[in-house]
Amino acid sequence: MTDEHFSGVGAFILYAVTTAMMIFIMAPLLLVMAVSVSDSYFVTFPPQGFTLKWYAKVLQDRDFLEAMRLSILLALGTTAGSLLLGVPAAFALVRGNFFGVAAIKGFLLSPLIFPALVTGLALLQVLAKLGSQDARLNLLIGHVVVTSPYVIRTVVTSLQLVDENLEDAARTLGANRLTTFWRVTLPQIASGVAAGGLFAFMVSFDNYPVTMWLANSEYSPVPLVLMRQLVNVFDPSVPAMSTIIILMAMVGVLVLEKLVGLRRALAA
Amino acid sequence: MTTSDDVVAVLSTQPETRKGSRWRLRLSVVMLAIPMLAFLSYFFFYPALALLFSSLLTQNSQGIIGRPFTLAHFMRLVDVDLYARVFWTTLRISLITSALATVLAYPVALVMVKSRPLVTRIITLIVIAPLVVSVVVRGYGWQLILTNGPKGMLNWILMTLHIVDGPVSILYTEKAVVIGSLHVFFPMMVLPLASALGKIDPNLEDAARMLGAPWWKVFLRVTLPLSMPGFVAGFTLVFSLTAGSFVIPAILGGASAVMLGNLIEQQIFVVYDWPFGAAIAVVLVGVVFAVNGLSMWLLEGRRLRRST
Repeated sequence: MTDEHFSGVGAFILYAVTTAMMIFIMAPLLLVMAVSVSDSYFVTFPPQGFTLKWYAKVLQDRDFLEAMRLSILLALGTTAGSLLLGVPAAFALVRGNFFGVAAIKGFLLSPLIFPALVTGLALLQVLAKLGSQDARLNLLIGHVVVTSPYVIRTVVTSLQLVDENLEDAARTLGANRLTTFWRVTLPQIASGVAAGGLFAFMVSFDNYPVTMWLANSEYSPVPLVLMRQLVNVFDPSVPAMSTIIILMAMVGVLVLEKLVGLRRALAA
Repeated sequence: MTTSDDVVAVLSTQPETRKGSRWRLRLSVVMLAIPMLAFLSYFFFYPALALLFSSLLTQNSQGIIGRPFTLAHFMRLVDVDLYARVFWTTLRISLITSALATVLAYPVALVMVKSRPLVTRIITLIVIAPLVVSVVVRGYGWQLILTNGPKGMLNWILMTLHIVDGPVSILYTEKAVVIGSLHVFFPMMVLPLASALGKIDPNLEDAARMLGAPWWKVFLRVTLPLSMPGFVAGFTLVFSLTAGSFVIPAILGGASAVMLGNLIEQQIFVVYDWPFGAAIAVVLVGVVFAVNGLSMWLLEGRRLRRST
């Protein structure tokens, strides 16, 4: 399709609004990045000079580095957990045409429409009653609850595209079910599994509404530490931290785009 | 599975075992869902019910929660002016944000769907990329832009261009929360809209145009009605997510735009009033479910199709 679809006043409005929204979307992120290299002791606009000293400060900040380590390990654990639960469940949803499959799918996806803030609070109440004191374990459980439905969505979509004739061929030629899954099915759904896993990682890394209930002062992931810094620190080390997080997210987005295409990954 | 079993059956010399093995196979496929079902039942479904239950209990002065059952916490949300105001603020902010998102997302989604592949790709990337950046970072970016006083970016620009004489104050108002929420949830509106618009047969629009309809009439009579499913899905998402937010009102709203999420946090972490915190959470879930139920009702019955 070409742009000739739009013409005259209609086209002008469309492009004006679209351009304005692109600026609206980019502005806060670009501003944060610009301020992070400002050579001033307070965050001000316009930024002054150029320095990387705030990055040096952030990279020596024990709290931030500890939080980074915790967040990355937590996101890795969450990814593993949600793949282990989500991939087999997605397989059951697509292949097991049993009674009530729609209801089960609805149940497995329900954390997506439930306010995450309430999910976290409810979980905190139950974990507290159980006496589960380890914040790391609690965070892992909470994050898997929130991320496993994403795995279901991406894997179900890619499973529906699998050509079952190939599996039949493998079976006819004498491969057992496990070999068939490993050598024939899995390669076909690999991009969906990878997208689900990457999604789980990113959602876990950024999660605030569940994390805020389950973290404690000893184990605080990055978003919580950043939130605390916003209130207490006024030098450009906060934008420097934020820029590091923005850049990490951009890498994730580009990988996702390469793997499956963004629209497909999200619309699944 | 059917085909493979058929092939096996043809090759097999003992057809009577086939039925049993297929039944077993189907059962074993079902079993694959059990770990996740069990996990979510115990760590999601049960906790949600337990929370609902504790919103009906009483907390004594020692902080112990138990019987008698009461609806007092829900009544408090209605009766105490301060809390009722938080409820209405939440609804107002969510509604304004979703309405604004709709109006602004239509042009973006249209351009996204109908442009050259390169333009589509760039717009998609710009719309989606911020989605994976922490909400805290995005709220912080808006705090920097909207900072009250001459040091904020917006005020600096407005004053440098002599649009205003003195700095405007937007930060720590409902407006700031709407702006921040719009930024955070805008992609949730654009994506369903773009997918709905992409499914519209371009011939319908071309036909209307060839029959002499001006662009706005083509949009109002053809494009808009046919994109309704995307609109309803996007509106529901943006509304539900905004209603359940915590970070954006905490950073941008200050004391004058407290939302339900902030009130829950305060009741649990500051006041330690678990039953009341649980009651507010139940109300929040009720609001979100009501909106989702309405949207499902609209989408399923195809009640959106115009009869004309």
